[in-house]
Amino acid sequence: MNKLTRREFLRSATAGISALVLQQLLAACGQEPPEATAGVGAAPTQAKSPTETMAEQDSTQPAPQASEQPPLESQATQTPVRSLPDLVVARGGEPEALVRQALAALGGMERFVPKGARVVVKPNICVAYHTYEYAATTNPWVVGALVKLALEAGAKSVQVFDYPFGGSPEEAYTRSGIAEQVTAAGGEMVVMPAFKYVTAKIPHGVDLKKTEAYQDALNTDVLIDVPIAKHHGSARLTLGMKNLMGLILNRSAIHRNLGQRIADLASLFRPSLTVVDAVRILMDNGPTGGDLNDVKKLDTVIASPDIVAADSYATRLFGLVPEDVAYIPAAAAMGLGRSDLNGLKIEEIAVGA
Amino acid sequence: MSRPAVEQKKGEWRPSGPWITARKVVQYLSLLAFAALFITASKTDWNGSLVNLPMRLDPLLMLANLLASRAFLAGSALALLVVVLSLVFGRAWCGWLCPMGTVLDLFSLRRERGKRAAPSENWRSVKYVLLLAILSAALLGNLTLLIFDPLTLLYRTLTTSILPPLDWVVSAFEKLLYPVPFLAGPIAAFDAWVRPLILPSEPVYYRTALLFAVLFLVVVALNLAAERFWCRYLCPLGGMLGIFSKLRLFRRQVSEACKGCTLCSNACPTGTIDSARGYASDPSECTMCLDCLEACPRSGIDFTPRISIAEFREYDPNRRQALLAFGAALAGVALFRSSALSKRESPHLLRPPGAREANPNVVELTNCIRCGECLRACPTSGLQSAVSEAGLQGFATPVLVPRLGYCDYSCNACGRVCPAGAIPALTLEEKRQTVIGKAYLIEQRCIAWSDHQPCVVCEEMCPLPEKAIWLEEIQVQAADGTTLNLQLPHVLRERCIGCGICEYKCPVNGEAAIRVYVPEAALPF
Repeated sequence: MNKLTRREFLRSATAGISALVLQQLLAACGQEPPEATAGVGAAPTQAKSPTETMAEQDSTQPAPQASEQPPLESQATQTPVRSLPDLVVARGGEPEALVRQALAALGGMERFVPKGARVVVKPNICVAYHTYEYAATTNPWVVGALVKLALEAGAKSVQVFDYPFGGSPEEAYTRSGIAEQVTAAGGEMVVMPAFKYVTAKIPHGVDLKKTEAYQDALNTDVLIDVPIAKHHGSARLTLGMKNLMGLILNRSAIHRNLGQRIADLASLFRPSLTVVDAVRILMDNGPTGGDLNDVKKLDTVIASPDIVAADSYATRLFGLVPEDVAYIPAAAAMGLGRSDLNGLKIEEIAVGA
Repeated sequence: MSRPAVEQKKGEWRPSGPWITARKVVQYLSLLAFAALFITASKTDWNGSLVNLPMRLDPLLMLANLLASRAFLAGSALALLVVVLSLVFGRAWCGWLCPMGTVLDLFSLRRERGKRAAPSENWRSVKYVLLLAILSAALLGNLTLLIFDPLTLLYRTLTTSILPPLDWVVSAFEKLLYPVPFLAGPIAAFDAWVRPLILPSEPVYYRTALLFAVLFLVVVALNLAAERFWCRYLCPLGGMLGIFSKLRLFRRQVSEACKGCTLCSNACPTGTIDSARGYASDPSECTMCLDCLEACPRSGIDFTPRISIAEFREYDPNRRQALLAFGAALAGVALFRSSALSKRESPHLLRPPGAREANPNVVELTNCIRCGECLRACPTSGLQSAVSEAGLQGFATPVLVPRLGYCDYSCNACGRVCPAGAIPALTLEEKRQTVIGKAYLIEQRCIAWSDHQPCVVCEEMCPLPEKAIWLEEIQVQAADGTTLNLQLPHVLRERCIGCGICEYKCPVNGEAAIRVYVPEAALPF
């Protein structure tokens, strides 16, 4: 073995330490520190869509002045769009037709996805156990339709991911049928690597003040939340806001004071659009499912820019009211959206068989 | 250090030539194939019988399994290929194909060893005694000594002590470099390419990581005492093939041309070329590496076919050693069978799905050859090498440790890759109905029961179509006098299959508030 002189040792040690310092320096000055990015996340999720492109192209709505707006108002109230409904319910057709017509009624995907935007579609792929008929995971054609619509609207990229709690992501992506439809639609099905989680502050969080969140979901231009409406033991129902739990790392921490903490998460991610898949809903033994007797086929899709409104409407499908699902009133109280369905402009569409 | 430079140079001289190049190419390809099959064992869409091919080629594993299980394994006849190879070319397996042998060549530690004299020739008998002890114990129904088979040794080490640390290093670098702006793209692309190819998608952890690393390092470090120390003196598979090699067709011959220059005896990695015997070698020790062939400056060495039985050497197994090995195996197995674990098994002896039923003895896991294929295939690394659960008699057999990983409801990989019939190849549907244990709630630790906080994670996680946990709705009084509506989890034991995801995900610190125990205790009534 070669002898290492003291000089050589010191030299290599210095080189190593300098490399580390350089890394820290580059990481710090290159990007906005992740905490800062996440910290302002709540307010400008509206501005996720680059304002200038929006202003150039969009004649039907005023360009959102994200920075001037109070941070915690629902998107529906923030961007009042003339004559457009707050929420659309499409019933009775193939999944893709349901999504297309619901979005058309909401003013088109162009309203949410500016040209060149990076889009993230977040379905519920919570376990790798069953195919889509069991209604444990979002309907693959609903996800596929959203990917197509986003690309047709001119999105630069559409990424789809979730972090299953049972089974591996690869297995879950395949068995759910979602990978196939996303790829066919031209989107990317991505396994979420560990190094992409950052500590994000939740400035408007009431109970949960920070969490390890997936940066691609935080920093994306447009986040589209596409949950499946399901029974859930502790939360009663898992809908749009509960679906956001797939974007964070430490989920066991969420389980204490679940309702408020899910609402806090919704204030962090603020999806631009929520599409609740109720083609099939799971009435019992959720969120994992596995028994076709618990599945009810409704051929319904609920779409709204207001995640609270979408979730509130979805409670009806189970014969419940928004107050039954703790995170809905909690989010409404935080000003994340509206749960009073009577005050909303709701458009119901019969797509027809 | 103080040796003359010339002498040191002589020690470092290695023969070279086309035969040696050819051998090395085959060695590396074989090691690469072994590694590739190791890597793909975690890809559930692969055919299990291809993944475990190396184990089924190993005549020691297959014979020991046959003796212990008294049943023929599908595909075990493949091992006859290696037997035939030995009958023709001697221990060419060791010199050309064995991945462990190649690793020992790669880390030959030649320079560090210097010109240290090799241990006594008598040491060579250790491998035969070990071989006989393995086969005797197998006959008595115990396969624990198969941890010393070179293939299982290497495979277990790769599984628990090489891939996980490698993954840690890669992940640490990714995490360190990803925030650097111009590196974010390349790092993400690198990860998306390399991780599905080689690395686990979630980090895996093994209790025996350090233990198996030390065992492996000891085997490598023995190269300091003599080149291929393991192969010469210890390897039981080498011993077995050595016995077949007594009949080998192609033998090393030394011609009249030999002038006793010692180049061949210096080059021989197993040290079997004996100057005292006219530079002849023992066919049972020669690995057909052909170093001597290329080393000889006078072309005095040839490998020609010859039908006869090689002469016996003093270190070859004799009756006394055979009796010693059998006696030791008998005593060992008798001690195992009289240990407390044989009367009442550990409550945590959770065997992989179907293994409890497929093995005559669940503590010793009769059919298990300790190869570690199932550990590697388990995507959650819930399957671990048994350390205390099954005692020495079941050491290195697979056991589910739910706090480290659960049995994935969508996976039946362990049964598909098991080459030994220790874990049956169940269909996913069968596996989902196979009971590996039963969950019990520990109310004193449960957040809902004990702290009156809402938490039903166990119920959410339960993968069964009809959940094995039901929620009792109660009203309780909180400390401040208000009433709370609360859900209390209860286990429906008749439904539970013991997959352990409840125990794994239970958010209580330390020991979980819900634990899986063996399905039914074998009560010694």
